[in-house]
Amino acid sequence: MGAPPSSQPFISPPPSSQPFMGPPSSRPFGGPPSSQPFGGPPSSQPFAGPRASQPFSVPPASQPFTGPLASQPFAGPPAAQPLSGLPASSQPFSGLPASQPFSGVPASQPFSGLPAPQPFSGVPASQPFSGLPASRPFSGLPASQPFSGLPASQPYMAPPTPFPGPPTSSSPFGTPSWQSPAQQGMPPMPGTTQAPPRMFGMPPHTPGQTMAPVPPVMGHSPLAGHQVSTQSKIDPNQIPRPVSSTSVPLFETRQGNQANIPPPATSDFIVKDNGNCSPRLMRCTMNQIPCTGDLLSTSSMPLALMVQPFALPHPSEEPIQVVDFGESGPLRCSRCKGYMNPFMRFVDQGRQFVCNLCGFTNETPRDYYCNLGPDGRRRDADERPELCRGTVEFVATKEYMVRDPMPAVFFFVIDVSMNAIQTGATAAACTAINQALADLPEGPRTMVGIATFDSSIHFYNLKRASQQPLMLIVPDIQDVYTPLHTDLIVPLTECRQNLEQLLDGIPNMFENNRVAESAFGAAIKAAFLAMKPTGGKLLVFQSVLPSVGIGSLFSREAEGRTNVSSGDKEAHKLLQPGDKTLKTMAIEFAEYQVCVDIFLTTQTFVDIASISVVPRTTGGQVYYYYPFSVLSDPAKLYNDLRWNISRPQGFEAVMRIRCSQGLQVQEYSGNFCKRIPTDIDLPAIDCDKTIMVTFKHDDKFQEGSECAFQCALLYTTVYGQRRIRIINLSLPCTSMLSNLFRSADLDSQFTCFLKQAANGIPASPLSQVREQITNLCINILCSYRKFCATVSSSGQLILPEALKLLPLYTLALVKSIGLRNDGRLDDRSYWVSRSASLSIPMAFPLVYPRMISIHDLASKEDDGSLLSATIPLSSEHINDDGIYLLENGEDGLIYVGNMVNPDTVQRIFGVSSVDGIPTQLVLQHFDNDLSKKLNDVVDETRRQRCSYLRLRLCRKGDPSGLFFLSYMVEDKIPGGLSYVEFLVQVHRQIQTKMA
Amino acid sequence: MAADLAGVGVGAAAPVDPDGVRMTWNAWPRSKVEASKCVIPVAASIAPIRASPSLLVLPYAPLRCKPPCAAVLNPFARVDFAAKIWICPLCFSRNQFPPHYAAMSETNVPGELYPQCTTVEYAPPPLDAAAAAVPPPVFLFVLDTCLIEEEMGFVKSAMRRAIGLLPDHALVGFVTFGTQVHLYELGFSDLSKIYVFRGTKEISKEQILDQLGLSAAGLRAGTAGAPGYPKARLEANGLLPSGSVNRFLLPASDCEYTLNALLDELQTDQWPVEAGNRALRCTGVAFSVAAGLLGACMPGTGARIIALVGGPCTEGPGMIVSKDLSEPVRSHKDLDKDAASHFHKAIKFYDSLAKQLVNQGHVLDLFASALDQVGVAEMKVVVERTGGLVVLAESFGHSVFKDSFKRIFEDGEQSLGLSFNGTLEINCSKDIKIQGVVGPCASLEKKGAVCADTVIGQGNTTSWRMCGLDRSTCLTAFFDISPSERSSQPGTTNPQLYIQFLTNYQNPEGQMRLRVTTVTRRWVDGSANTEELVEGFDQETAAVVLARYISLKMEMEEEFDATRWLDRSLIRLCSRFGDYRKDDPASFTLHPNFSIFPQFMFNLRRSQFVQVFNNSPDETAYFRMLLNRESITNSVVMIQPSLLSYSFNSPPAPALLDVASILVDRILLLDAYFSVVIFHGMTIAQWRNMGYQNQPEHQAFAQLLQAPQDDAQMIIRDRFPVPRLVICDQHGSQARFLLAKLNPSATYNSVHEVAPGSDVIFTDDVSLQVFCEHLQRLAVQS
Repeated sequence: MGAPPSSQPFISPPPSSQPFMGPPSSRPFGGPPSSQPFGGPPSSQPFAGPRASQPFSVPPASQPFTGPLASQPFAGPPAAQPLSGLPASSQPFSGLPASQPFSGVPASQPFSGLPAPQPFSGVPASQPFSGLPASRPFSGLPASQPFSGLPASQPYMAPPTPFPGPPTSSSPFGTPSWQSPAQQGMPPMPGTTQAPPRMFGMPPHTPGQTMAPVPPVMGHSPLAGHQVSTQSKIDPNQIPRPVSSTSVPLFETRQGNQANIPPPATSDFIVKDNGNCSPRLMRCTMNQIPCTGDLLSTSSMPLALMVQPFALPHPSEEPIQVVDFGESGPLRCSRCKGYMNPFMRFVDQGRQFVCNLCGFTNETPRDYYCNLGPDGRRRDADERPELCRGTVEFVATKEYMVRDPMPAVFFFVIDVSMNAIQTGATAAACTAINQALADLPEGPRTMVGIATFDSSIHFYNLKRASQQPLMLIVPDIQDVYTPLHTDLIVPLTECRQNLEQLLDGIPNMFENNRVAESAFGAAIKAAFLAMKPTGGKLLVFQSVLPSVGIGSLFSREAEGRTNVSSGDKEAHKLLQPGDKTLKTMAIEFAEYQVCVDIFLTTQTFVDIASISVVPRTTGGQVYYYYPFSVLSDPAKLYNDLRWNISRPQGFEAVMRIRCSQGLQVQEYSGNFCKRIPTDIDLPAIDCDKTIMVTFKHDDKFQEGSECAFQCALLYTTVYGQRRIRIINLSLPCTSMLSNLFRSADLDSQFTCFLKQAANGIPASPLSQVREQITNLCINILCSYRKFCATVSSSGQLILPEALKLLPLYTLALVKSIGLRNDGRLDDRSYWVSRSASLSIPMAFPLVYPRMISIHDLASKEDDGSLLSATIPLSSEHINDDGIYLLENGEDGLIYVGNMVNPDTVQRIFGVSSVDGIPTQLVLQHFDNDLSKKLNDVVDETRRQRCSYLRLRLCRKGDPSGLFFLSYMVEDKIPGGLSYVEFLVQVHRQIQTKMA
Repeated sequence: MAADLAGVGVGAAAPVDPDGVRMTWNAWPRSKVEASKCVIPVAASIAPIRASPSLLVLPYAPLRCKPPCAAVLNPFARVDFAAKIWICPLCFSRNQFPPHYAAMSETNVPGELYPQCTTVEYAPPPLDAAAAAVPPPVFLFVLDTCLIEEEMGFVKSAMRRAIGLLPDHALVGFVTFGTQVHLYELGFSDLSKIYVFRGTKEISKEQILDQLGLSAAGLRAGTAGAPGYPKARLEANGLLPSGSVNRFLLPASDCEYTLNALLDELQTDQWPVEAGNRALRCTGVAFSVAAGLLGACMPGTGARIIALVGGPCTEGPGMIVSKDLSEPVRSHKDLDKDAASHFHKAIKFYDSLAKQLVNQGHVLDLFASALDQVGVAEMKVVVERTGGLVVLAESFGHSVFKDSFKRIFEDGEQSLGLSFNGTLEINCSKDIKIQGVVGPCASLEKKGAVCADTVIGQGNTTSWRMCGLDRSTCLTAFFDISPSERSSQPGTTNPQLYIQFLTNYQNPEGQMRLRVTTVTRRWVDGSANTEELVEGFDQETAAVVLARYISLKMEMEEEFDATRWLDRSLIRLCSRFGDYRKDDPASFTLHPNFSIFPQFMFNLRRSQFVQVFNNSPDETAYFRMLLNRESITNSVVMIQPSLLSYSFNSPPAPALLDVASILVDRILLLDAYFSVVIFHGMTIAQWRNMGYQNQPEHQAFAQLLQAPQDDAQMIIRDRFPVPRLVICDQHGSQARFLLAKLNPSATYNSVHEVAPGSDVIFTDDVSLQVFCEHLQRLAVQS
């Protein structure tokens, strides 16, 4: 958990002077070259983690993680991993100028340079990114970017060669060497192996041995047979809880021609793509695919893919390679149009290839022909990324464009109505935009535009070389139009100065604005009309409920309150969009490649349920700052905006998932627009967005065959190149239920539940959704209990090892903001909207936040694992003399007990008493160890989550303290069970079903 | 006979008339039948506020007769000084003088009773301070930006000059339009702020006010008084004093700099124009926006929309032609065949716009400069109803536009004396009914007993609004004679009839004035007294009234054969009033009061008012608007141009409007009102080309050349719109401007008869001589 999975999105908030900046020596890049780039020392801990941390588990023999260490692929510390071929000091980061991923070059830039990167060379001089201002000397960076030094994407520069293949050629194509038949150590052909798949973290087993891994059970739990009266005998410390590991294992996606089971999504790992894609990009709910639909329904588990096509890679991972097929374009199956991938089987001496998706036999084009080696693989397979990598990018030809690739257009729309002005939201937005301008992609293709609105819409003509901008007002908010044909959206380079002046001026200009109405719908429609020719990103800063013009809304909250008292049967309807106009508009936006992100800086109800339809349909997202505070929120606003525009992303994208015959896509779920059944349109797609794809059987698979999934994402980079990103995952098929459970992926399954719950909230009453979610969990466990567990101990609650945390997470989900009865409408809608596109690593903290104690930080070992010492979310673990930090990926709650040592308070908050701490918390830097460590922890969390935590102080005894305690999901709350009680309930229900 | 007719020059002095009222008949037939036998309608041409040096201005409120008459005390009233009673000459009611007239006696009469003061002007002191505050005039410029760069340059410099000439306190607003309408908020200091309206959509006044934050509620807040409205509530609605119209209309002194800066930056319309298409120009919406904005002004504020239009409206309401260039702008032929697809819709739109502006009391001035038509024919209704000015030129760089535009803003002698908010009321003696008024005004729909059943022009009312009027504004009122039973009884009859014109208006200084003109004319009893009728005939007025009447009929009536109608009327008139023996054409003579009327008719038949097919609908509309609003003298020139001849041997003299007047050694000066032509005979032209005028010994020649130039400038200086000056030589291409107006007494058919050095006209038109011969023959037919 300690190492950075991603690049660093945040820099200091504008007002304070670099509050997040530690001493330079603590920066990975500021230190001597030998300092560790991964933020944590290489741990020698095996991935499995200390056994002691799973006290609840069953006898060692059945413990799946107990296999001999030597057999664990990730057992060694990073230094002993394939990386080790390079001396530590030769790691690419040490001496190289650090590239600045967020200061203009997003992490995706490695793909945007030359078509043929040279991944094998290892020589920095052959960097494929030469066309870009890729590497930036660290020293040259502005001091206001304190996080800039982190090793974000620079590992792409000169990746170590973790490849098993001989680094014979520095280029995959174009040199004669790839035609050479000399290939050694060729792995066996896919699909031909007879060896039983060896699962990640599993001891070897024989396929026939269905019960081989004795599932972990709740030991001789007194639970059995006895109920409430015996609860006290359950040691709450013995029940399954998440554990975190600080090791950074290397994960090979395939080994021995078998798909490996990926490590937990929330852990830190380095992926080596050797056929299957990185699990970050695409992850399946089960790592073996049931041969039949019956088997799947017996298991009760969902079959779905979590696709996060731009997921940030680990800095040490090899970049995704770009393949240019020239004018002919990428090679595809002529029947299903699947793209060439490592699992396509070449036959007839390579003259033909069989599509792994549809089974069709294609002729190999002459210029792609290569003969086969003795193992049946093409001799050039290792030199061609599309034949040996799970993920590649193809350069798209004209065929894939309906027009020239669009420029990167950023259009800002700011609410200047009375409320927005008076709460400081307008000023915060203007400042944030002004500062974020520096982070927009550089170059002539970056275009910007700006508009403000209250009860009318104000555009600005920025293209006026010498004069101040011209304000153009569109007063007709029922039927809007664009006030100029050109000059509303201009290249940033041409209007930078004008724009900055304007942004400085807007808060003053509207200082005395008395217009309380807000024409949100009309404003975005008008901005859309201006963007229609190009498409692009529309960033809207909205502060009040849209009250006039098209798509105006009314305060349904009030109506909701009255309805709740009369029973919540209809209450969920308030979580459905109140206005169809916005949906219609959003579909039109998507059609013209306009993506809308909405920043809600509000202190009132804004009807997120209705508003969020727009970002959801256009591939955007909602940011929610409630209640907006001019003190603590501008920093988050700025950092969110900055990350929004600088993160790796693509425009005008179309995505389709293909899978092997036997399965078919059932549904896509996420933030996109779907106009035809097979494809989804993504006006924009970025590294934070995940799309869930569910599948259903339409045929049977053969035991031992593999089922392939291929995600094809056609998109335009911010620099205007058209690309097709192909992500492949091939998983073995099984007809045995126990294999399904063994290979079940808790992370994906839970995320799937979360998204299903989120989808269900607007559609059905809360109690029903909660029941459904609980039932999903129970059905899975029941199926396992029924078909896989030994029959002997019927009184035991037996949990499959892979899913042992499912009850805990289910309980947490049921108690989460979205499913709680007492939440505000907007909070719930926001939760729903956020869940829709949430990635797996972010889904967990949302539901089961991370809590650590901070009063004792100073005494903890500074080994980079400060964040790993998590505390279970139970009030039993909260002491009155402690201070705790709880973070859910978006908010950070600092809880202060009422008996805290005043000295500790003084050191952290700079005030002597708990009561003196301001509620609008802005974390200060004080010159003491504790304060430094706390700041480090917060910074590290922000970096991990790619989100600027909004800190909030919670005091024991205050309503804020109660709010904090509402996150203690293991506690018994009114109308909610404690963790132990929940396990008991689950167990009872399983027993009922078994009976 | 024809020669006699022509011989009586048009220079014949018009009857001196201190009242600015001229009538077709100065002696009125007493009965309806008699009136219809008179052929020429009984009508009066009034110049309501014409400049008059002897005008008496009375600084108090007028005395009015008791309702419903409400006529103002006038010199024709019978006054009983002892009883302090006056008897209204129109209705014969007895009215008591109020106490402040107590000092009145036979030797001490108030001004309005001076016999020579049939026209007086009342300037009553304002009732309170609020009324005394003169609202500043408003000039709202509406500028077309779908122009070529060169035209844009011309129009910008014209605008700059105009802004410089505006009085400091005048409020100025600025609107530009092309594909969309841009309304500039001049009062916004932070940066240039523009409200943009789409060109395709018709928007109501309420919508415009709403969208500009000027809706009724907003204005209440703006006037700050707003009793009964707690301030907090108004603020909650976002309505602050800044919501007032003053955001858009600023005193000229405050916004001159801003406006000039805006003009400097102003570009032509930036929306793309596809090949083969016209620029998208939303003139209609622009006018709506301008009118809507002015709707937020205080009622009664004198405001003008000054529209500078460079092409046809191709989008939105008021569109006259589609943007597709393959569709030509409608012609008279299209209108005749009802093939102008946009015409009626556009007329409807402009008609409603006219109603709105008349309600608000605001004026639309139209300055159209384009080689093709811009839609004056459709917009005519707005301009005419509101009393706006209209100038049609072919370029913003042409002097017709440039000089005319300048004149509007100039002070002093040449100033037009632009006035606002005029209302005209007509009171008349019992047996007279009003059919209507033709000219730049709109009916106020105040129906009264004196309204006739038949309507001509703006009828069915006794009161008319003239949103804009100036010294030369002239209206034509048509009367109907319908004696009641009782009044025809001998003994009770009054031999005189009375008509009173009351004009309330805001003079250029902003003060409200009431001008009262009372005229009296004689009744003529019975059919025997033809002599009296003849004596009272005003042939110039009759010609002009007939021209206005026939223009109206041509517009209103489908398939109306104007020429035939004119011929028949003329024949009837001649039969009625000519001296002749039956069936003896040679015996035919006309009274001098009628003698040049046939010549007027001959020229009217050939004029642009009747022969519309030589002109575009825009030009026709333009000519007719000016015909309707100009004085009789000017209108006569439009019908029958005047021709002056310059030669060495004689002083400049009027010449016959005949091709025979062209001589090689003469210079002719033709004043056709819309154009002034200086025509050099061939010899003169040759001499001039050889440069004799530059030689000292030929100074006389230089003077001869200069004289018509000076006279032309005299004409041009006093005329609005400024006429086009054409200088041409005999046989030159430009000579057509003269030839078209001349009587074709010599054509290619009569070449052999032509004197050397003279000219011929290539036409098949009949000459005046032939016309008169026919007339004589037909008039005497039994």
